[in-house]
Amino acid sequence: MTETEFLLWVRGPAFQGATVIFVLGVAFRLLEILLLGRKPNLAEARGSAMLGGLRTIATRSFPDAGTHKRSAFTHYVGYIFHIGFFVTLLLFAPHILVIEKAFGVGWPALPTPVVDATAVITMIALIAVLLHRLKDPVLRFLSNFQDYFAWFLTILPVFTGYIAFHRVGAPPPTLIAIHILSIELLMVVFPFTKLMHAFTLFMARWYNGAIAGYRGVSS
Amino acid sequence: MSGASLERGIHAMKEQIDAPTAMFFSACVHCGMCAEACLFFTETRDPKYTPIHKLEPLRKVWQQEYTFWGKLARTLGLSKPVTDAELTEWETLVYDSCTLCGRCSMVCPVGNDIAYMIRKLREGMAASGHAPPGLIGATGRAVTIGSPMGVKLPALEAQIRHTEEEIGFTIPLDVEGAEYLCTLSSMEIMNFPEYIAAIARIFHEADVSWTLSSEAFEATNSGIQIGVSDIAAVLVERIVKAAEKLKVKAVISPECGHAYMAIRWEGPNLIGRPYPFKVFHILEVLDELRKAGKLRTTGKESRRLTYHDPCQISRRGGVFEQPRNLLKMVAENFVEMPETGVMNWCCGAGGGVSANERANEIKMTAFKRKKAQLDAVAPDALVSACANCRIQLEEGLEENNMDIPVISLTETIAEHLAGKPPTEARQS
Amino acid sequence: MTEISNDTEFRDRLESLDPAYQRILAARFVEKVLSLCDDERVCRVVKVAANPDASADELRTALHSARVAIIDSHARCGADSSWKDQAGYFVARAAAAAVSPPGQLAGGAAWHAAMSSRMAETCRSIDTAEDNTGQVRQQQHLILSEFLTSIESAPHE
Repeated sequence: MTETEFLLWVRGPAFQGATVIFVLGVAFRLLEILLLGRKPNLAEARGSAMLGGLRTIATRSFPDAGTHKRSAFTHYVGYIFHIGFFVTLLLFAPHILVIEKAFGVGWPALPTPVVDATAVITMIALIAVLLHRLKDPVLRFLSNFQDYFAWFLTILPVFTGYIAFHRVGAPPPTLIAIHILSIELLMVVFPFTKLMHAFTLFMARWYNGAIAGYRGVSS
Repeated sequence: MSGASLERGIHAMKEQIDAPTAMFFSACVHCGMCAEACLFFTETRDPKYTPIHKLEPLRKVWQQEYTFWGKLARTLGLSKPVTDAELTEWETLVYDSCTLCGRCSMVCPVGNDIAYMIRKLREGMAASGHAPPGLIGATGRAVTIGSPMGVKLPALEAQIRHTEEEIGFTIPLDVEGAEYLCTLSSMEIMNFPEYIAAIARIFHEADVSWTLSSEAFEATNSGIQIGVSDIAAVLVERIVKAAEKLKVKAVISPECGHAYMAIRWEGPNLIGRPYPFKVFHILEVLDELRKAGKLRTTGKESRRLTYHDPCQISRRGGVFEQPRNLLKMVAENFVEMPETGVMNWCCGAGGGVSANERANEIKMTAFKRKKAQLDAVAPDALVSACANCRIQLEEGLEENNMDIPVISLTETIAEHLAGKPPTEARQS
Repeated sequence: MTEISNDTEFRDRLESLDPAYQRILAARFVEKVLSLCDDERVCRVVKVAANPDASADELRTALHSARVAIIDSHARCGADSSWKDQAGYFVARAAAAAVSPPGQLAGGAAWHAAMSSRMAETCRSIDTAEDNTGQVRQQQHLILSEFLTSIESAPHE
């Protein structure tokens, strides 16, 4: 297989396959969860579960002052790599073109040097997060293979994208193919790991806020 | 424990797992922030006290029973089912170092309600024979005697008589058609019976129609603490039956955290039907009286006072404004703790921990979190509204050589009632 | 002799007394129920309370001792209750009240000591089904009456 054939395969059938697995996988996982259902609450409500749920989806992104202080590293560096990841994914011109081709909708891109710098910051943040996970007693205690694998799956696209953009180490078509492959790997494994939090966190926050809101507490 | 018990335990856990539980487990990213929200971790720095870690047996059951890959892995022998030894190991994590305070649930960035899940895990722990002996004993007494501490009606009647002599008027018992049925906790009846005098005086002053019930005076619910919903339901049903028999409009829960959670929030779900009456915490009732202008007080405490929010009343119960409204009536120098209201820290002894002798040491260690708050505020006295918190606070303060009296909010209000004390004490 | 015949008068008179007098009276109330408590520490606290010349340090130490006795004797949450032990708990509370600093207890030290002493007797009555609570109350009224008479008739310097 030539470089070009490889790239075409990666951009074509492999990407389609990965997308199908991703979409079906996420849907399946969510259904698996939601179908468990929950019992109705027969106690007299004090507040609104719905509003409580919606409120917590938003407010849980901003911890209270005490928590903020105690978990400053996790909070700030966590945000840095998440925001960085999504900036490189969604505000990079070539990525927006791909999305536009697929869904017919596009938006303005950030200047490429800005995205480039963001990618670097994101990778530094991810490395910091890894070191923290390895060093911090609680994180070291909690972490398992999945945590480290998910980390790897997250940094790989950023890294491969960066070297593809800077044309380092291999011919451009190969580099781009590897980059897209890394995304496909992420997509395929995503539904079966904690990366599902990208979807489940909204509903988890909603449940939390709903349970508390029912009792008149803003959680 | 026999295999049959482990089976019952796993079965109980399976029944408990619902969509929120599955969603929470799916959302957890092992960020560790819950650890810094838990006083058992903050005061020991031992990672095993990380709240989400305390749930590991439940998480395993969820994964192996309710996820495709989890079920496949178990079938292929790639994952091991939960063992009895594991549940033994987790017993101290689930019962000794968790008070169901719910602070972790407020902090988790993905929104996990960890305390909600610990409550569910306890159902499995109890069904598999892994609950602390102290709690098992208390629960047994609650079912057979009517009180986890073995308090029987004659004892309550003696306390009532003593109180009637002190306050100079009768305390209503089994009065049909009264507006409120008051319940009490055994801890109050035994250790702080002055609470009975306090509510009697307040209701007398505010002209509130109320009654105790000889058939259902116990508010505490060991079934909730141990995690046996069937027993918890039996205990709630007693109160419900008495309330229906006496045709009251509302039931009042006393100064006890878990009693409120049991009767107000869990109760209808335990017995499978809504109540035909309302349920209030005593502080809610007092605050309504305040708003209606029926609670007239005189004089103010000049001491520097601060308030400890009982977790089940404040954070998990929703009653956090009322105590502050009431305190402002009688305190001219009230200061909040740093991190207060729904983010206040647990005393360290709720959720069955104080009934568990094995947890004596860890709960005193956990108290250091409260100590740190008190060191920052330096109050002259500490006000709270839970008899269990009160004992733990007193013990902790004594252990740490801190001279801060702990006072009940209801009793403090009663001490400041504007009405004159009764003119004639009853002679026997 | 000043006759105290009801609890309203009892409380009012107690509250109006000097803290030093309240302490002495409180000690006398607790002495009457001391047999219900087998904690030596409580006995020593009552001795300190009864001593009109007790120093501030002695009182502080006694209070600490009484508080430890209270904590050691309270009914444990969820434990099988013993009303006999609870009597001891209330005697300890009465003793603590007796040596509490002035102004800390609403109603005053003597009133608190009196009520806790009565409660100790109530606990005993639950345990033994023998109710002497009325007698304890009358005894307390008498103690106060006699005390008031003695200070009223004491020579003024």
